[in-house]
Amino acid sequence: MSTLEKLSEYVETGKSKEAKALTQKLLGDNISADKIVHDGIIAGLDAIGEKFAAFSAFVPELMVAAMAARESLEVLRPKMTQGTLHKTLATVVIGTVEGDVHDVGKNIVAMMLEGGGFNVIDLGVDVPPAKFLKEVQYHEAEILALSSLYSPTRLAMKDIMEALKTEGLRDKIKIMVGGAPIDQAFCDLIGADGYAPDAPQAVKLARSFLV
Amino acid sequence: MKDDPIYKDRRYRINELREKSEKMTSRERALKAINFEEPDRIPIDNWMVPEIKTRCMDYWGCEDEEELLAFLGVDVRDNFGPSYVGQEFKKFDDGTVADLWGVRRKIVTYGKGTFHEGKFKEVAWSPLEHMTSVEEIESYEAWPTPDWWDYSKLKEDCAYWHPEYFVLNKGDRLDRTAQLKPMMYLRGIQQTFIDLAVNPDIVECIRDHVVNYFLEYNPKVFGVGGDEIDMFMMGDDMGGQRGPLISVEMWRRYFRDAFRKYCDIAHKYGLKVMYHTCGDVYQLIPEFIENGLDCLQSLQPQATNMDIKRLKQEFGKDLSFQGGMDIQQVLPLGTPEDVRKMVKYAAENAKRGGGYIFGTAHNIQADTHIENVAALFEAYHEYGVY
Repeated sequence: MSTLEKLSEYVETGKSKEAKALTQKLLGDNISADKIVHDGIIAGLDAIGEKFAAFSAFVPELMVAAMAARESLEVLRPKMTQGTLHKTLATVVIGTVEGDVHDVGKNIVAMMLEGGGFNVIDLGVDVPPAKFLKEVQYHEAEILALSSLYSPTRLAMKDIMEALKTEGLRDKIKIMVGGAPIDQAFCDLIGADGYAPDAPQAVKLARSFLV
Repeated sequence: MKDDPIYKDRRYRINELREKSEKMTSRERALKAINFEEPDRIPIDNWMVPEIKTRCMDYWGCEDEEELLAFLGVDVRDNFGPSYVGQEFKKFDDGTVADLWGVRRKIVTYGKGTFHEGKFKEVAWSPLEHMTSVEEIESYEAWPTPDWWDYSKLKEDCAYWHPEYFVLNKGDRLDRTAQLKPMMYLRGIQQTFIDLAVNPDIVECIRDHVVNYFLEYNPKVFGVGGDEIDMFMMGDDMGGQRGPLISVEMWRRYFRDAFRKYCDIAHKYGLKVMYHTCGDVYQLIPEFIENGLDCLQSLQPQATNMDIKRLKQEFGKDLSFQGGMDIQQVLPLGTPEDVRKMVKYAAENAKRGGGYIFGTAHNIQADTHIENVAALFEAYHEYGVY
C-alpha cells in the first residue's frame, strides 16, 4: 500500500492523529498538497461516502472520517495559502437557517466539503437571511448551502431565496439545501439548485455545480 | 364547548362519524388494539405542539385541552410521571435554565412574524461536552437521583382517566426513559457521535449513569402506578431520514442490554412497552422485537423503509404500531385530500387484526394549516372503522 493510500485509509477510518502525522510526512517527502488532497484525503472521504451509501458506515464513522480529513487539511493549509500547490475548488457559505439551532448534519457536510477541497465559510446556526446575503457577497461565494432539521424552520429557506432575488444575487450563486425535512420536492418548490439527502451526496452535488 | 352555530357546524362531521362507530370506551378500544384484537375503530393518540392545540381549540370552540381531546375522540391520555421536588433548577444570566441532568436549555423562536411562529426549548450547554476522561465524567456532581421525585400523587393522576381512557406513562423530556438521548444532551450530539466511534469507555460510563438512574426510577413509578397505568412509553431517536444513525452492531454493543432491561421491568409490572424513535430504524426492528418491545411509535413515513404497509406485513405479527402520519410533508404542505389519502392508506394496511393506533409521526407542527388537522381527524373517524 502506498503512503497516499495509507492516508486515504486513515481518513476513511477516522484516525485523526495518524492522518495528521502522515500528511506531515508526505509534505516532508515533497509530495504536492494537491496530490495529498486528491489521492489521500478526498479518496478517503469518497470511500467512507460509499460505505455510508451502502449502509456499512453510519453517522459516527462519517463524523470521525470528516474530522480526520479536516485535521489533515489543517496541516496542508499553510502550503495551500502560499498559493502555488493547491487551489480550493470554490467557496461555499453554509449555515442552519433562522429559528433552527441544530448543527450536527450541517457540521458533517461542512467538514466533508472542506475535506473535499472546498473553501467553507460556516456561519453556524440560527442564521438570519440578511446574514447569509452579507456573507455570500463578502466572500464572493459560488455556493450557498442551507440546512434545517426542525420542519417548520425550513420555510426560512424560501425567505432567503426571495432575498437573493431581490438583491439581484440569485443567478450568481448555486443554492443547495438539505436536512431531515427537506426533499427534492421542497427544493423544487423554493427554486433551489439542488438537494442532497446526506453529507457524501452533498459533496457530489457541490462538485456537480462546478462542471 | 362553545355553542355558536359556526362551531357546531365544524364539529358536526366528527360527532356524526363517532356516533355511528363507537361501541366501547377508549380504554377498551386501545387495550384491544395493543393485544392484537379488532376493536370498533382504530384508537387515536394525539401529538401536537402547543400552538396547534390552541389553533384547534379556537377552530372547534373548545374551552380547554381536555374538551378538545374528548371531542376529537383521542383515546390515549398521557401520564407525565411523578412530580419533581428535587433541587431547584438553576437559572443563568444568559437566560438558560438547567434541567434534571444539569443540561442547560434556552428558548428558540422560529418563523418570527409568520402564521407558523412558535417556540421550542433547545439544549444550549452540555455539562460533559469538554470532559476528556472517564474519571472526570465520574466526578460530575450533578448526576440525578430518583429520590428527587414525589411519587405520591402518581396513582391518583392516572386513575383520574380510568375507566374511560387508556393511560400511557411517558414521562416528559426530563425523565423519559432513554439511553442515547440523555447522553446526547449531557455530552452534546456531535461529541456523542465521536465517542461512539472512538471513545467506548466514555460511552459506557455515561450510558451506565443514565441507565442506572432509570432502572431505579421506573420500578418506583410502576410500583406506585399499579393497574392505573395501561402502557409504558420510552423513547430514543435511533433513526435518521435515510437509515439508522448507528449500525446494528453498535446498537447491540451499547444499547441492547438496557433496552431489554427497560422492557423486562415494565413487563414484570404487567405493562406493555411502547418505544418512540424518529427516522428509519427498519434494520433495528428485529432487535427491538427480540429484546421485548411491544409497540413501535412514530413510523415516520418520509424516512426510508418506514412504509406502514411493509412494516405491518413484515413485523405485524409480533409488534403493534402507533403513528405513521406524516408531519414533514403531507400535513404541512399537502392538501386536505392528501391528508385523507394518507389516513386511508394507513388504515387499510395496518388495521387488520388490531395492533395499530392512529398517530402522527411526531407533534403536528405549527406550520400546519387547521384545514389539514381537521381533515386528519375526520379521516381517522371515517377510515378507522372496523
